[in-house]
Amino acid sequence: MEEFFSKLVELFSTPEYIDSLWHGFLLTLEIAFFAILIGFLLGTIIALVDTAKPSAWLAVPKFICRIYVTIIRGTPMALQLFIMFFVIFAIRGFPQIVTAILAFGFNSAAYTAEIIRGGILSVDKGQTEAGLALGLPRMVIFKKIVAPQAIKNIIPALGNEVITVIKETAIVSMVGMYDLNMAAKDIGSGQNMSSYVVPMFTAALFYLAVVYLISFIIKRVEKGLRKSDLRAES
Amino acid sequence: MISVRNLKKNFGSNKVLRGIDFTLKDGEKVIVLGPSGSGKSTFLRCINRIEEPTTGEIYLDDTLITDKNIEKIRQDIGMVFQHFNLINNLTVMKNLTLAPVILKLMSEEEAEKKAKGLLRHIGLLDKVDAFPASLSGGQKQRVAIIRAMMMEPKVLLFDEPTSALDPESIGDVLALIHELADEGMTIMIVTHEMNFAKEVGTRIVFIDEGKIIEEGTPIEFFEHPKTPRVKEFLKKVL
Ligand SMILES: Nc1ncnc2c1ncn2[C@@H]1O[C@H](COP(=O)(O)OP(=O)(O)O)[C@@H](O)[C@H]1O
Ligand SMILES: [Mg+2]
Repeated sequence: MEEFFSKLVELFSTPEYIDSLWHGFLLTLEIAFFAILIGFLLGTIIALVDTAKPSAWLAVPKFICRIYVTIIRGTPMALQLFIMFFVIFAIRGFPQIVTAILAFGFNSAAYTAEIIRGGILSVDKGQTEAGLALGLPRMVIFKKIVAPQAIKNIIPALGNEVITVIKETAIVSMVGMYDLNMAAKDIGSGQNMSSYVVPMFTAALFYLAVVYLISFIIKRVEKGLRKSDLRAES
Repeated sequence: MISVRNLKKNFGSNKVLRGIDFTLKDGEKVIVLGPSGSGKSTFLRCINRIEEPTTGEIYLDDTLITDKNIEKIRQDIGMVFQHFNLINNLTVMKNLTLAPVILKLMSEEEAEKKAKGLLRHIGLLDKVDAFPASLSGGQKQRVAIIRAMMMEPKVLLFDEPTSALDPESIGDVLALIHELADEGMTIMIVTHEMNFAKEVGTRIVFIDEGKIIEEGTPIEFFEHPKTPRVKEFLKKVL
């Protein structure tokens, strides 16, 4: 215990260590943020193609989307990361962070697409039919009727996906990137076993803090959405 | 008003409509009867192309709706569903005004004025800002009916409008449809309410296995059925 505290003091009083953790933390956030952004944009496009009314010119895009989602969801994230690093972007001097962002972004897109698709399909078909019967164009029906109802089902699952991506980025340490996870290992290494404990628990607290913050925000948003339900029932 | 020629609809290998020929004249109130699964809903839904016909032609007045811009034509064909299908995320007022305003049939003020008038008429003016979830089934269906009326359609299609209602609300909804009928609205309605059919219908059409096998005035149909299939059906429902 005494040793634990002395290590703790050492960690927080050595600017080098704090610096390492902080930089690792920022890298983790940076990768996660842009990956989530790409995942959301690409995932939305995939979900829209996937749920659009079947037509001749959409047949091929729909097929590609299904294949994409199947492959991404059917293979390990770590393997996808390796393929991006050592096959697709095995270009000398290509920024590692871009490769990592794309790897996690492309991965998250498949999961986000499934979440959004599920949300859209969970809206009763009668809602669309009511719009059609009134002569509304499909674009308007989606914007005014389907999307607002789908969002209520999508938000909680999307929150989980954001949290998953943040935690999953820890595997970039496998390709030698200096993220929060790697920083913890680096600070602890080269000394005895017990020296790992403090930096790793500290890194865990960083992750926990971010996840907690995001859960909090999602809960708030959900509560806001539920309020309109209550109003509907009163 | 509406004329249907050799309408066929398949769902995969399931031949649901097997060649329907039908005309609906101005002011008629046609009651569509038939056993469950015979294709009544599919028939109605093909008329506004919520269901895409496999083959056949459907005319609204002189327009072939099977090749024209259907969205414009749908404005003239009102539809009322068994499960009401009010838009859950919109208030009663927005349910009524959304389509006519977006489609530029009237200004927002005009639409709201018209909506309030209709709501007052059905006694639901106090629900103007309520969401559908807070209405009873009968209230929802009456709002759905005036939502269709907001578009000032040439014809109204009803698909079992009272089948999902509790007995107390059925009367309110039927009374409203009856009133529209009396005002001269052209109506096509799938229903199991035989008294309503006799009272309001000007013609009964009986569908079995995707074909119209008998039609006639309510008196002809109920008093002097021709086919054994209809005789058997009437024995069960009367
Ligand atoms: N969207 C659909 N996809 C596949 N089969 C359908 C669909 N809609 C209706 N059917 C089939 O068509 C037949 C007729 O259905 P429907 O028109 O709803 O009959 P009814 O309204 O007379 O009870 C049924 O066998 C039903 O299973
Ligand atoms: Mg039906």
